[in-house]
Amino acid sequence: MIEVSGLTKRYGGFTAVRDLSLAVQPGEVLGLVGPNGAGKTSTLRCLAGIIPATAGNVRIAGHDISTDPVAAKRALAFFPDEPRLFDYLTIRQHLNFVARIYGVADHEAIAGPLLEELEIADKADQLPGELSRGMKQKLAIACGLLHSPSVMFFDEPLTGLDPLGIRRMKDSILKRAREGAAVVLSSHLLHLLQEVCSHVLILKKGEKIAHGTLSEISAQFANGESGVSLEEIFIRATGGSEH
Amino acid sequence: MLGALLYLRLTSLKNQLISRAKRLRQLKYLLGALVGGAYIYFLFFRNFGGASGSRGAARTAATQTLAALPSSEALTQTLPLIAAVSALLLLGIVMLAWVIPSTTPGLRFTEAETAFLFPAPISRRTLIHCKLLSSQFSILFTSLFFTLISNRWTFLGGNALTHAFGWWFVLSTLNLHFTGAALTLSRLVESGVSPLRRRLTVLGGLAVVVGLTVAWVWRDLRAPDAEDFAGVAPFTAYLLGLLDHGVLGALLVPFKFVVGPFLAPDTRTFLFSLAPALLVMVAHYSWVLRMETSFEEASLAAAEKRSATLASVREGKSVFASARTHARPGPFYLGSSGRPELAFLWKNLLSTATYFNLRVLATAAAIILVGSKWFLSGTTPDIRAARVVVGMISLTAGAYVLLLGPHLARQDLRGDMPHADILKTYPLRGWELLLGQILTPVAILTGLTWLCLLGAALTLQPTGRMALLLTPSGQWAIALGIAALTPFVCALQLLILNGATIIFPAWFHSLRAAGPGGGIELMGQRLIFVFGQFIVILTALLPASLTALALIFATQWLIGATAAIALATLVVLVVLAGEVWCALWWLGERFDRLDVSSELRP
Repeated sequence: MIEVSGLTKRYGGFTAVRDLSLAVQPGEVLGLVGPNGAGKTSTLRCLAGIIPATAGNVRIAGHDISTDPVAAKRALAFFPDEPRLFDYLTIRQHLNFVARIYGVADHEAIAGPLLEELEIADKADQLPGELSRGMKQKLAIACGLLHSPSVMFFDEPLTGLDPLGIRRMKDSILKRAREGAAVVLSSHLLHLLQEVCSHVLILKKGEKIAHGTLSEISAQFANGESGVSLEEIFIRATGGSEH
Repeated sequence: MLGALLYLRLTSLKNQLISRAKRLRQLKYLLGALVGGAYIYFLFFRNFGGASGSRGAARTAATQTLAALPSSEALTQTLPLIAAVSALLLLGIVMLAWVIPSTTPGLRFTEAETAFLFPAPISRRTLIHCKLLSSQFSILFTSLFFTLISNRWTFLGGNALTHAFGWWFVLSTLNLHFTGAALTLSRLVESGVSPLRRRLTVLGGLAVVVGLTVAWVWRDLRAPDAEDFAGVAPFTAYLLGLLDHGVLGALLVPFKFVVGPFLAPDTRTFLFSLAPALLVMVAHYSWVLRMETSFEEASLAAAEKRSATLASVREGKSVFASARTHARPGPFYLGSSGRPELAFLWKNLLSTATYFNLRVLATAAAIILVGSKWFLSGTTPDIRAARVVVGMISLTAGAYVLLLGPHLARQDLRGDMPHADILKTYPLRGWELLLGQILTPVAILTGLTWLCLLGAALTLQPTGRMALLLTPSGQWAIALGIAALTPFVCALQLLILNGATIIFPAWFHSLRAAGPGGGIELMGQRLIFVFGQFIVILTALLPASLTALALIFATQWLIGATAAIALATLVVLVVLAGEVWCALWWLGERFDRLDVSSELRP
């Protein structure tokens, strides 16, 4: 579903991501973790086709993101850490706009339950300026889910959500994965990885330090000890610093 | 505490200067600084420093103008009139501070200041002093800038120093007044006085002053007659009589004190004018200090609102963009299937004013049709002259809309660049997205230009030799031709402006991030942009214009002027459509390859 080989992203002389390869199958949730500046957001943006990769290949649902971007983007959804909304469009109008862009037939039948699931149906005629940070995040998610993407990228998905919102977001991600979506999310919140991710990829200075299931990663860095926390594993894997 | 504030201001200023100096290592800022510096020099400093060069010429011209006035005492009469009118203007500005605020305006602090100063262990009075001291930095800078401008007004006399001090007195006193007014309004709200009652009281007071002035004119002065308008001297004398006496005269006295130092024609008068101006300032200061009232809550709200407005401006939107809080229905039905470009037209139309719609356009066209019919039915010389004036105004307005409109109508990619990362996830080709983005400004500007053209075509009728050359059918062929070309000319200009944000995103980002101001280097960048766009649009229109002229010249003998114009329009249409398509395709490709993360870094 998501196939990445030799992905490299450079900004001038600075290499943000170096020779990264990975694959995420339908139903899998891959957690991208790493210290600040590890290259998580750059990786996500390259995968979503927002920024061009300097080298390497990215295939989304079988389509190469650089040679067939329209087909690849039709299959994916990207959720930034900060919801990017249009100030003058209500929740309902946002969905109307996105439906036309993605050509979602009978979008109202999909939008209704989606808004109910995200608990913003009663705010459907409000502008983003009238919504709380969490509500805006939910609207951005609704817009992303409207076209039923088979690939999803979340950049810090829990930012700004209240405890109930966090719970619902985790459930929502797991529900989509169970329905066959391939999900990649980046987060600093290790408990999110533990609860949601089937696989983890640890990045440091743009390079892959470790990649595998949670148990595989634990085994790799536990050094034979038992009951080592994920936090401890992360610190051991990254050397305890950004550098 | 004030020491800490002084440290904050001076350190911020120093760091700002250092960071600006450092960024000059980037070509875009260096070029901007050079162009901006040259502009500032030629605009202000070339005329600075004594009565030499063009400043001397200007002074001579001004002296000659004054000498040509009917009265030999023109100068001595004009300056008091300027003082009186300036005082009246200040009175008007001051009145706004009492009428406009809907609730409690609070004192103007930035969000950072509210975060650091409000929880700090300092008294309310010290906070007010912080505010006043803080304002002095911008007042000093503004005074300097205004001095650069007013130094060209050589007829005022004085010199750069007296002008700088003069501006400082005016701005500082106004600042003190606004501070006092804000605190007083807060206290009024605390005592239960509603904004409506306050406004009615202020406007009622103003009405009383106007009424008393009219009564005084009726009783002691006289209504103006034709002789008062016979020349500058009698008109000046009458106005001075009105503004210097009676209730209005008394009301304007403190305001005249405030503008006194600025308008002092020589050093001696300047020194004499200092004491009254200081008296007014000290009275204001004393008033501000006596207002023990809470302003923190209103200041916090105002700081948040200002911050939102600034963020909005930095996103390329209007200053008023963040003010809208009411949703409105979509401009037309947007189905789920069909061209995706229309989704952008739909979205961007929602971000414009409500009156940009087909109904208003049709109503305006109907009004123009009816109005011009009435105009055309009139045969008196006055009506004919008015018709020409209306026609010329329509034509000029149309030209302005066509040439300047694309710079102002920014409901396109320029406004959406902060969402570039989301736009790039849409399953659209770059050209589709760009076409969709420019549709709204093209539609609005085309509608406005058509209205102007309609007005011009209906009211302008060629006379003399032009009437022989341009038959009514030829005239309509030109109007319809321009109307047909308008959307393409608009599209071409908008593509150039939007293209600039795609090709030079870093320049665009630096201009946007700077907000409305930004310094000499950013002003220079804006100048370079405008000049570049001007050159590009001329280059783009040149092939079409030359083709049109050649065609009309070559074919009018064979098929007649009207048909030649129609043929030329058709060919130009094809040329422009080709250019628009090429620009869309090329810029779309550029947008597809745009690296938003590296290019849009500040």
